[in-house]
Amino acid sequence: MDNISYLLLVRSSPYGSARARAAIDIALTAAAFEQAVTVVFLDEGVLQLFDGQETDIAELKNISQMIPALPLYEVKALCVHLPSAEKFGLDVAGLAEITPLDDAGLTRLTREHDQVLVF
Amino acid sequence: MKFSLVIYGAPWTSPSALSALHFAESVIASGHQIFRLFFYQDGVFNASLAAVPPQDETDIPARWETLIKNHDLDAVVCATSAVRRGILDVSEADRYDKEAATLRYGFTISGLGQLIDAIQEADRVIHFVE
Repeated sequence: MDNISYLLLVRSSPYGSARARAAIDIALTAAAFEQAVTVVFLDEGVLQLFDGQETDIAELKNISQMIPALPLYEVKALCVHLPSAEKFGLDVAGLAEITPLDDAGLTRLTREHDQVLVF
Repeated sequence: MKFSLVIYGAPWTSPSALSALHFAESVIASGHQIFRLFFYQDGVFNASLAAVPPQDETDIPARWETLIKNHDLDAVVCATSAVRRGILDVSEADRYDKEAATLRYGFTISGLGQLIDAIQEADRVIHFVE
């Protein structure tokens, strides 16, 4: 299998649809096939990065706990779109292994990757 | 040109499925190829054998089946998405002790790796989101 690079733009909130979870599943699968995967959280997607998500009471799987594990499964890079983080009041300084990205950085990543998938 | 199509929407609840069907028909009519159709999330309902739409509406799953048969297309349904939504082939129905298989003829249940393969092998990948 040829090596191609994947950019996953995760724009969906964690529990409003199945899309956020789908993005994680695709990131893990592509990484398992040794493809270079970068995940960017932007718009409502940054809601996945907040601490303290209590999902047991809603009988849902806690997506926020899966995200820190992505690098362990060879997902190359995790990024957060800074203007989106600011809009939703997310403090990016407290995020380990997640690189802040401005608009120019997002544009650059979009150009650099072979495949861009939006969730 | 080789296309892969990824269908995320159930028939009738969003334009995803019908748009994808029209696009697939156009790809073939234009002399291009379809490498794979990949049905993901609610898109797996396109592969339902049990769907009975009203007679005056387009039977989207039946149209897929015709297209797949006539052109010998590779139509893959995501296993994780399918099983949880009750789209089962004979072996899955057997495995989970369900009385009936519900996967339409022409479709195959397989893993998400088939989506990555579809992306790798195609010249263009079109995502039909909800």
